[in-house]
Amino acid sequence: MLSRVADALYWMGRYLERSENITRLLLVTEDISSETQGLAEQVAQSAWKDLLAIFPSSHVGPPASAFAPTSMAYLAGFYLDAGNPYSVHYSLRRARENARSVREALTVEVFLALNETFRALEAHARRGLVDPPSFRDALTSTHKGLFTIVGAIEHTFTRDQGWLFLKLGESLERIYRTALILRAKLPGLAAAEPRADVALYYTQWRTLLRALGSLENYRRSYGARLEPELVVPFLLLDPHSPRSLRYGLEAVKDQLERIAGGREPTAAMRLIGRLHADLCYQDQRVAATGADAAFLERVVETMGHAHDALTAQYFVT
Amino acid sequence: MKWVPETTAYDEAFDRSAAPRSHYRPLVSTLESFTLTEIARRERLQKISLVDQGITFTVYGEKDGLERIFPFDFVPRIIPAREWERIEAGLIQRVTALNLFIADVYQDQKCLKDKVIPAELVLSRKEYKRELLRVTPPRQIYTHVVGTDIIRNDRGEFLILEDNCRCPSGVSYVLENRNLLHRVFPEFFTRYPVRSIRDYPRLLLDTLLWSASRASENPVAVVLTPGIHNSAYFEHSFLAREMGVFLVEGRDLIVEDSYLYMRTTDGRQRVDVIYRRVDEDFLDPLTFRRTSLLGVPGLMNVYREGNVAIANAPGAGVADDKAVYAYMPALIKYYLDQEPLLGQVPTYVGLRKDDFAYMRDHLASLVVKTTGDSGGYNMLMGPFATRKEIDAYAGQLKKAPGNYIAQPLVELSSHPTWVDGSFEPRRIDLRPFILYGETIRVLPGGLTRVALRPGSYVVNSSQGGGSKDTWVLAPRGS
Repeated sequence: MLSRVADALYWMGRYLERSENITRLLLVTEDISSETQGLAEQVAQSAWKDLLAIFPSSHVGPPASAFAPTSMAYLAGFYLDAGNPYSVHYSLRRARENARSVREALTVEVFLALNETFRALEAHARRGLVDPPSFRDALTSTHKGLFTIVGAIEHTFTRDQGWLFLKLGESLERIYRTALILRAKLPGLAAAEPRADVALYYTQWRTLLRALGSLENYRRSYGARLEPELVVPFLLLDPHSPRSLRYGLEAVKDQLERIAGGREPTAAMRLIGRLHADLCYQDQRVAATGADAAFLERVVETMGHAHDALTAQYFVT
Repeated sequence: MKWVPETTAYDEAFDRSAAPRSHYRPLVSTLESFTLTEIARRERLQKISLVDQGITFTVYGEKDGLERIFPFDFVPRIIPAREWERIEAGLIQRVTALNLFIADVYQDQKCLKDKVIPAELVLSRKEYKRELLRVTPPRQIYTHVVGTDIIRNDRGEFLILEDNCRCPSGVSYVLENRNLLHRVFPEFFTRYPVRSIRDYPRLLLDTLLWSASRASENPVAVVLTPGIHNSAYFEHSFLAREMGVFLVEGRDLIVEDSYLYMRTTDGRQRVDVIYRRVDEDFLDPLTFRRTSLLGVPGLMNVYREGNVAIANAPGAGVADDKAVYAYMPALIKYYLDQEPLLGQVPTYVGLRKDDFAYMRDHLASLVVKTTGDSGGYNMLMGPFATRKEIDAYAGQLKKAPGNYIAQPLVELSSHPTWVDGSFEPRRIDLRPFILYGETIRVLPGGLTRVALRPGSYVVNSSQGGGSKDTWVLAPRGS
C-alpha cells in the first residue's frame, strides 16, 4: 500500500487509542478524586498530578476560582482544550484529520462513527461544560463513541496491510501508555502503608486496574483479592487481558511479522522480539517484581525506537 | 403548500398557465401530500446525513473552517426520455468534435491552416502546451471525462454554455444526491422510472483502463489529488474509493527510467494510468510550473514515452477555452460535416475587431468573462452592474481585448426549490458527465446546480449555489 496512507492509518490508530486512554483516565481519576477528596486530599491531588506524568502537558491552568474543585482545571485541560496536544479534543481531531486524508482507505461506517464522535465533542468544547457531572456525562458519551469507532473498524475493515498498520499504531500506543501509567503510579502505591487505611489502600490498587481498563479481567482471574503481588504480574504478564504488556507486545510482534510477510526480521521486529523475550522468559520471582523503574523505562524507550524504525522502513520510502 | 410562480424565465415544472407539466404532475401531487412539519423533519434528517458523512467542499478565502456542506435541495429536476435523447446525442457529437479538435491542434493543425479558427487565438492561450506538439496520447483520447454545462433559455431550448475538458468536478455530488434523496424522500421514486446512475465509478474505471498501454497485464490506475485542502478533495477520495484504486498525491509518485511508480510499503509499484485532478500546470515542475510542489518531476517524460496515460490529457484545456467556444459550431461542421445538434449562446470574441467594438458599446447589456478563469470569478454581469463597475471593467477590457468574450444575458430556466416553507422558483443549470473510452457514454442526468438567492443567475458552489438530484426518465415500455 501507499507509504503515506500506511503512515496516516498508523497515526489514526495511535490517536484513537490515545483518545480512549485519556478519556478513560479522566473518568477514573474523577472517580477517585471525588471519592477521596474529603478523606485524603493528597491522594486526590496526586491522582490528578500523575496525569501530567502520563501526558506530559503544560496546558493545564490553575483552577478558575478557589472554590472550584481541583478536577475542573484538569478535566477542561485534558478533555476540551484544543491546544493541549494530549487532550481528547486534540487527539480525536488528529485521528479524524488522518482519517480524512485517507478516506478512500476507510469504510464509510468508520468515517461516520469518527465524524459523529468528533462533532459531539466539538459541540461540548464550543458550549463549555460547567461542572464535574456534566464532564462525566460528556466523557462517557465520547467513550462510547470511541468504542463505536473501534467496533466499526473491527466489523467493516478488510484485513489487509492498512488494517495491520492501524492496529500496529493502536498496539504501540497502548503499550507505551500502559508503561507510562505504571511508571507514574507504582512508586506511590508501593510506598503506601496498607495499615493506615485499608479501604483507601485497596481503592488505589483498584483504581490502577481501572486506569488500565483491567479491573474486570483481573477479577475473573483472581476474584476480589487485590494483592499487589498479584496485580503487578497480571498487568505485565497476563496472556489474555488485552491491556497487559505481554498481550500488547505479542500483538505488535504479530502485526510486524505479517506486515513483513515472511521476510527477514526488520529492525522494529528485533527490538520488540527482544523486549518480549525479556518480559516473558525471565524468572518468575523476578517477574513478580519486574515492574521496577528501570524495566518500565526500557519499555518506554523501546517503543520510541520501534516507532522510529518502522517509520524509516515503511513511511519514508 | 405554497408554490410561488416563475414570472420571467422558462419554468421546468409548470407551464404558462401555472399547471404542472405532465412529467412533473406525480411529483407535485406527492409533494402536496406532505405537511410542513413532515417536510421540516425530513430536512433535518437530510442535513444530519450530509454533515455526518462529511460530504463537504472547501470555499477558498472563507475563514469559517475549511469544510462546508454543499446545500442540497430535495425537489428533483426531471428530464423526460425524449428530451434526454436529444441532449445525449448532442453531447456525444460535441465531445467527438472536441477530441478531434485537440488532436488536430497537437498534430497537423489543419483547422488553423484552413482558417476555421484564428491560429493566434489557439496558439496564444496558456492552455495550449507547445511542449506537447506531436505527442500522441494512448488511443488518441484527450478528453476522457468531460463536464459540459447546459442551460435552458426562455423558450425552453437547451444551449451549451461551456465545455470543461480538464478536470470537471461535481460527479460525486450527483451520486450522493441520489443516495440522499432515496433515503430521505423514498416516496418520490415510486411513480417514476428513474434511470440509475450507480454505475458511474465502474464506467469511469473502464474508461481509464482503456487508455493503459499494458492493457492485458492488470494495469494500475490511480487518482491524483492536490491533497486534503483542495476544494474537491471529497470527490477525489470518493471516486478513488468507489473505483477501488489508490488516491495518490504528487509526493507518492516517483519517476525512474521513464516509468512511473508509487511509493508503497512494499517498495515501488508501477502506475499505468493517472486520473489527474490536479491542474496540468502543476503536474510536472520540470515541464510546466517550476515551483509546483504538487507535481511529479519527470512525469511528462514518462508520458511522452507512452508509458503512462493521463486523463484528461495535458493540453486538453485548449478546447474548453471561452473564446474557442465561439468557434465550436464551425469546428463541428469542419470535423464531422454535421450541423450541431445542440445550440449554444451567441458569443462575441474580444479578439475580433467588430466584436470588440460591440462589446465596448454594449457592456451594460452583456455578460463578460475572461477566457482563463472559471467558477464565476472575475466576470461582469452587465445588466446587474453599477455604472462604476462597468467603467472599471471597460478599463480592464481595453488593455487586453483578446482575453475577453461577451454573451447576451441568457435567462436560465427556473425550478421549484424549497425555500423557508414554500416552493419558490430558482435558476438552474445542468452539468452532464461524458466519458470517452471504448465508446462515448453520457451519465444519464448530471449535476443540476441551483442559484439559491432569489433572482440570482450564479449557480457555482463557490458562490452560494446548491444542487438537486437530476432524474432522467427511462423511455416508456423499456
